[in-house]
Amino acid sequence: MVMIRINGESHEAADASRNLLSFIRFDAGLTGTKYGCGEGVCGACTVLIDGQPLRSCMTTVGAVAGGSLTTIEGLAVDGELHPVQRAFIDQQAMQCGYCIPGFIMTSVALLNRVDTPDRATIREALSQNMCRCGTYQRILRAVERAAEPDGAADD
Amino acid sequence: MTESDAQEPGLHVQGEVALGFPPPPRTYARVAYGNTQPDAATARWLTVRPDGSVVAYAGKVEYGQGIRTGLAIAIADELRVPLSNVEVVLGDTALVPWDMGTFGSQSTARIGLQLRKAAATARHVLLEMAADRLDLPAGDLRAESGRISSTSDRSRVVTYAELIGGANIVRDLDDDIALTPSSDFSVMGKAHARVDAEARVTGRARYSQDIVVDGMVFASVLRRPWRGANLASLDISVAERMPGVVQVVHDDDLVAVLADTDEHAAAAANVLQAQWGEPAARASTIDLPEILVSSGRDPYVTQEAGSLEEGFRGASGSLEATYFVPYVSNAPMEPRAAVASWDGDRLTVWAGTQRPFGIRTELAQRFGIEELQVRVIAPEIGGGFGSKSPYPVAHEAARLSRIAERPVRVAYTRAEDMIYATMRPAAVIRIKSGFTSDGRIVAWECDTHHAGDRPFLGRRGSDSPYDTPHVKVTTYTSDSPLSTGSYRSLGAAANHFAREVHIDEVADAIGMDPVELRLRNLSHPRFRRVLECAAEAHGWQPAKGAAGRGQGIAIGVDVGSYVATAVQLDVGGQEVRIDRVTAALDCGLVVNPEGAKNQVEGSVVMGMGTALYEAIDFQNGRVLNAGFTRYRVPRSNDAPAIDTLLVGDDDTPSTGAGEPGIVPIAAAISNAVFDRTGERHRELPIQRHLR
Repeated sequence: MVMIRINGESHEAADASRNLLSFIRFDAGLTGTKYGCGEGVCGACTVLIDGQPLRSCMTTVGAVAGGSLTTIEGLAVDGELHPVQRAFIDQQAMQCGYCIPGFIMTSVALLNRVDTPDRATIREALSQNMCRCGTYQRILRAVERAAEPDGAADD
Repeated sequence: MTESDAQEPGLHVQGEVALGFPPPPRTYARVAYGNTQPDAATARWLTVRPDGSVVAYAGKVEYGQGIRTGLAIAIADELRVPLSNVEVVLGDTALVPWDMGTFGSQSTARIGLQLRKAAATARHVLLEMAADRLDLPAGDLRAESGRISSTSDRSRVVTYAELIGGANIVRDLDDDIALTPSSDFSVMGKAHARVDAEARVTGRARYSQDIVVDGMVFASVLRRPWRGANLASLDISVAERMPGVVQVVHDDDLVAVLADTDEHAAAAANVLQAQWGEPAARASTIDLPEILVSSGRDPYVTQEAGSLEEGFRGASGSLEATYFVPYVSNAPMEPRAAVASWDGDRLTVWAGTQRPFGIRTELAQRFGIEELQVRVIAPEIGGGFGSKSPYPVAHEAARLSRIAERPVRVAYTRAEDMIYATMRPAAVIRIKSGFTSDGRIVAWECDTHHAGDRPFLGRRGSDSPYDTPHVKVTTYTSDSPLSTGSYRSLGAAANHFAREVHIDEVADAIGMDPVELRLRNLSHPRFRRVLECAAEAHGWQPAKGAAGRGQGIAIGVDVGSYVATAVQLDVGGQEVRIDRVTAALDCGLVVNPEGAKNQVEGSVVMGMGTALYEAIDFQNGRVLNAGFTRYRVPRSNDAPAIDTLLVGDDDTPSTGAGEPGIVPIAAAISNAVFDRTGERHRELPIQRHLR
């Protein structure tokens, strides 16, 4: 039996070797985190572990036991969207939207790590995620906007 | 709509479902899918609820094109309500009017117009009711923000909610109703956040992959290793004993493990012992051009004028070249998935298909039940780019659920999605042109061989838009070792690649700037406008031959929309780096400019992948590079800056914006690589052939 925290809530996993993405989606019922490739290359399954990005499709529940996970469902606080979420809406940085939770988690992790990343740093971080609809230009703009010093206050 | 909805209070607008369907006998959908008949003559399109909010129904699906927002905008404008008061229900066969499917960029053109008429009808009815209520002539009233007031005395006002009260009012859609002129739009044509954006950034949006129902088991299906493989023998004894396995099903051609979790199902499916019968010769990538040309049959002339003999006789120069595009994968981010659940002889299937009604027809036929016993729900769809019209996992889930007597989920892995979904047809296209030294193209002979038995794919966009007096374009249907199907713009992107590279070659042969050559041979004003706008906005520098700048341009037309695209790139070693793309699109009246631009940007990025690196490889019939580790698609650090100009006029009816952007981009890139390096690339993807 393994305990993990997701979005502040404790979850029990009977099997420590359970794939983390499957656990999050099917056992914890948090389907905002997506399956895209199962090989850790598309980033759709990105979650945060203690604030940093993790490809949940490539790991197990046991490997993160004791850690604190955040999924896309846990980003908004008391219904207040995270500045990165707001920036994605403002820039219309989405088409089908399937990859967007992963992009947002990668972006939040970047902003956790670097206060005001430059364009090249953002591009590099975002290159870990794939969007087949090709909304990269808008996603980049959204993250740049969210990274601006007053990004959080910007409405 | 359900019976209970029909009794609910509100102002309901019902109207014809067919909307010009069924289409003429040769169009895309009829040839492809056959489900061209509505199940009822009329259906409810729109309701103004007692609280004044509006709900509209459409059989389209949202798979990235932003149609929910586009339709909501059109309705908000016609009905004079805030955008936030409009809800659009899509893709659930139990709730929405019958629809043939979401393809061919028809949603805005056809359904958008229908919903505008429904909204205008509702506004007209509300104005009449207000005239009664306020005891004023309807002509003295104006509707605004969900209320109707006197134009002379704004204190005399009544809201839509007050007008409807608890009444249940049903009216017929007025097909001839006057629509709001474009000069009066206050919502259309302006930038709006997508109405479904928040659900997408919070993880609330539910896709087929996300559907989980009580009592559901996970299936893992035994897949054929190559097309046409026959199961010679099967041993399920080990799989049956694996942890979590509920049942191993062997039903005719369908073999699947059902288990309590996705992982248990996959693990057990891995130990199914299957032997596959060897069909006749199985092809490899290297055989493809030969197969396409030698198997070509059913020649079909898509364009013919004058006499080629006369044309070539009058030419001072001629060029002949052959172009090749490989198979490419649509590879939407969401692999196909479906959940099926039976309740007695009623079936519910969640399936992210572009054709919920078509899949309903297929399922009803398969199980010998009435269509109304089947409900297909298309939830949010994680991309598709044309390929989610056929939806085999819906059938698999329904069959397995019937056998297991409980809900079953079937979901493709990424590799399954790339191998077992359809691909864009590979094609060989030969063009011979004759021209005069002053830049008139006088003869044009083109033969296309697109893979697969759906000839309409290869025909799309095969005709030349240039003013060539002697022309003949013939399309052939060719064998396909892999499974082909719809892809953004069908075969138009391949046909445009060949044609627009060839035009560039003619410009080089004559020693003329490629923009000037095109303008000399184009009389269509919409073509000239997009080309001139793109060239000017891009800062096109006229030049002859390969000038080392990395500048390329191409034009195109698809689904009635005109487009021209210019690129600026550099080539270093084995890599092409695209810096900047300028696209000018004329799709007539633009309902949602940000939505249209987003579609063009996506088309450019997608087409860039096909131009530079995407190709499905196969050996002895097996796909070699399924999965994103082996099949490279554009990433954010590959993406250029894209400037999209919308240059259509508001009085031209809306045409599609989702597909045209892809048709010129591969040629523009190839032409720019030629400009940079002097090497002509007639075969895609270019990065495999850089020296």
